[in-house]
Amino acid sequence: MLASFGLPWLFAVVLPFAKMRSLDPVEYEEGGEVSGVYTPKRDGRITEGSRIYGQEGCYQCHTQLIRPTYAGWDVHRDEWAGLRVSADNSEDTRRETLATDFQDEEIAHVGISRLGPDLSNFGRRIDFYLKKGEYTPEEWVLLHLYNPRGLANYLDDQRVPEKSTCPSKGGMFDEVPTYRAGDDALPLATPDGLAVVPNDRARALASYLLSLKKDTLRNPLPKALNFNPEAPQAE
Amino acid sequence: MSETHPTTETNDIELRSAIDRSLRHPVMFFFTSGALWLAVAIVFGLIASAKKHAPQFLDTFSWFDAGKIDAAHMSALIYGWGCSAAFGIIIWLMSRLSRKECTSAGIILLAGHIWHIGVLIGIVCILDGRLSSGIGLMEFPNAVWIILLFAYVLITVWSLVQFQVRDAGHVYVSQWYLLAALLWFPWIMVTAYLFVFAFDGNPLMVAAIAAWFKNGLFLLFFLPTALASAYYLAPKVTGRPVYSYNLALFGFWSLAFLGPWAGMERLMGAPIPQFLPYVGAAAMVLILVPAIAVGVNILKTILGHDDVVAQSPSLRFTVSGIVLFMVFGVLSFGLHTVTVMKMTQFSYTGYGLDILAIYGVFSLCAFGAIYFIVPRITRREWLSRRFINWHFFLSVYGVASIVICAIVGGVIQGQGMEDLSQPFATMAERSDSYGWGITLAWGFMLIANFFFCVHLLLMWARLGRRSSHPTLFQRHHSENPHGPEGEIDNIGSATA
Amino acid sequence: MDHTRDNPLKRFNAFWVAILLVTTFGIGCIILRPFTLGNDNAAYEAASEGRLAIKNEVLKAEAETLNVESLNDQMASLAKTLHSGEPTQGAMPVVIPAPAPAEAAPAEAAPAEAAPAEAAPTEDAPTEDAPTEETPTETNPESSN
Repeated sequence: MLASFGLPWLFAVVLPFAKMRSLDPVEYEEGGEVSGVYTPKRDGRITEGSRIYGQEGCYQCHTQLIRPTYAGWDVHRDEWAGLRVSADNSEDTRRETLATDFQDEEIAHVGISRLGPDLSNFGRRIDFYLKKGEYTPEEWVLLHLYNPRGLANYLDDQRVPEKSTCPSKGGMFDEVPTYRAGDDALPLATPDGLAVVPNDRARALASYLLSLKKDTLRNPLPKALNFNPEAPQAE
Repeated sequence: MSETHPTTETNDIELRSAIDRSLRHPVMFFFTSGALWLAVAIVFGLIASAKKHAPQFLDTFSWFDAGKIDAAHMSALIYGWGCSAAFGIIIWLMSRLSRKECTSAGIILLAGHIWHIGVLIGIVCILDGRLSSGIGLMEFPNAVWIILLFAYVLITVWSLVQFQVRDAGHVYVSQWYLLAALLWFPWIMVTAYLFVFAFDGNPLMVAAIAAWFKNGLFLLFFLPTALASAYYLAPKVTGRPVYSYNLALFGFWSLAFLGPWAGMERLMGAPIPQFLPYVGAAAMVLILVPAIAVGVNILKTILGHDDVVAQSPSLRFTVSGIVLFMVFGVLSFGLHTVTVMKMTQFSYTGYGLDILAIYGVFSLCAFGAIYFIVPRITRREWLSRRFINWHFFLSVYGVASIVICAIVGGVIQGQGMEDLSQPFATMAERSDSYGWGITLAWGFMLIANFFFCVHLLLMWARLGRRSSHPTLFQRHHSENPHGPEGEIDNIGSATA
Repeated sequence: MDHTRDNPLKRFNAFWVAILLVTTFGIGCIILRPFTLGNDNAAYEAASEGRLAIKNEVLKAEAETLNVESLNDQMASLAKTLHSGEPTQGAMPVVIPAPAPAEAAPAEAAPAEAAPAEAAPTEDAPTEDAPTEETPTETNPESSN
């Protein structure tokens, strides 16, 4: 029985774990616009935010995995995999998830189900589509965490519906007197003299969510990692 | 304690009575505390499911937020109810089959309390959120796992000792499964703990190993325990031997070879070594093989004894559990092909299969075992036939509803997701009705569990019927369908 | 009780065999741990190559142009003459009246840049600076950073 358990233990758990720990860096091809090796570029409170994302159980309803087409059509789903700003594919930043995409996180929050949209490029969507002059990305995310049903459109045809089933994370916000809130107060209608202020966990989570930009904008893929098919010349 | 040959009938009964007496405190503790955790888990499941289609439900309590309550629900179901019931069954069954009294009841009872305190701390940490680990099904904080493993060893090492010092003779099929469960559980848990918490590595592999652990918990711990109980009760209650020894052997080894590979199909499409999800999916597809082997074996054992199955609560629950295991095998076969997984990988379907495994297969078999074991260790009979009946029908109806709603709902969800002409919001709204179905079904399970809990607590309080006739589903019977071996052992003193 | 199979010694052995079996794969994980370590910094190291090359080049160039003996000689000769001469009067700082408020911002930047020069040893001729009346007190905390 040791063998029947030991073989999968070795080949499915130990060896792949060792192999994935020390991945070879992928170099850009010669003569391209970018040289060197491919490194993920993310900023924000990733480690801490990722932990809070797990603690709040966001992975139960959201995924962070853009699967290759043999396993699903995620790449083509509206803006999940990146931006498709123009119809002729000239600005198309979509890509599948890569092994380095979860660097600095303790665990990859691949997710259990999609009761909510995939979040791999949530940061990208928010940055790009937030209508000017309404809210800053951080404000929008904090408002969403506070009450997902309070915010409607953030972009033209992708709505967070009024029937969103995302939970309101009231526990991550405090109600304080206005004079103590200062800049941190959320732009909400509150009773006189009170303001709603995010606590540090909310801020870390918002920072993490805004760092979710796993596409090729300003970080192109080397040929070796580019599994996208060649774009057709005319659509 | 008998000093003469254990082969004579009276001495056998004395030995069994002594074994039951030595174990009654730990086993009753595990069953009652497990039943209470099951109630908690079902309430959490109800809230979790309600939150998915009515997010304002109870949203003033941040402890009941959607993601955290889901995690608390599964953890309470698995570590609170599942492990507790499994421990009770394992230690009683191993004791009986090895024909050894338990000499460490005190330590087991203490360790059981430690286990439950650990689970309680873990669940509180999950609900509060600031100390949980955020890793699927391993959300308890780091230190709690150490406590649980320590408690586990103290609970179960005695059963391993009993097996090794058993009298020479036949090794029962149940004993293989018990031994396997006892060893597989720490193997997967320690491996998962070390790779997820202690060693650091690529986060994707950490997620893969957590998924491997999730499947391993069911296939390599809960399922073998359920099968051990089934392989004991089916021959015992019908009075016939197991249908085929070779088939039993085949069923066991096919599970042993397939089980440890399963799990990583939950990460199909992730950038991990590609053979891992494929091997996991293949293993889950092939689970049909041991499912059919075991199912055929057990069902053929009870073939022709429909009246016994109808009358005996333990056998009815057990047979339902085994039938649902075959259903699980078929569903696993159908749902783990890549074309179907494209749709269902991230939908309700996974939840449905998990609940089928934990509640449909394991819990029903565990109920069967509990309805058999408790009268023997408390020396009382169950009070109400009706309670058992309602528990049975509501449970089966409930679990069937959840599984059907979840799997069908998941397929619909998946279709909606693959259909790129539909915006995501439409797809999300379409699965609402299935969410309602699941919530309703948990409501039925809650009622079922209420009957079970009340009944069990009454037995625990020694308020059961003093009788030599077991509580069976039909009012009149001329012959004890449990057979002569099934009589409550009334030999010996009746003191506590 | 069958003494040939069940006695306290056998139970003791069985207990430790059980413990060993239970911890088998845990021990396996710990034993194999050193083999699984690998180099998880490979990408970072590869990406740093260019930067490190430049840094080493710069350090090398600086080391080459740094003429330690000549510096030492200069300092030795200076040290000898330091106490020999008469103290000479330094030039008084030129006082310019405070500018109008609109120009206050650029004027504040200039003293900040001039202050480090002022802090250098006064062996060199006092540099041409344009401090305002407030600068000595205002910029002192800045010059000490």
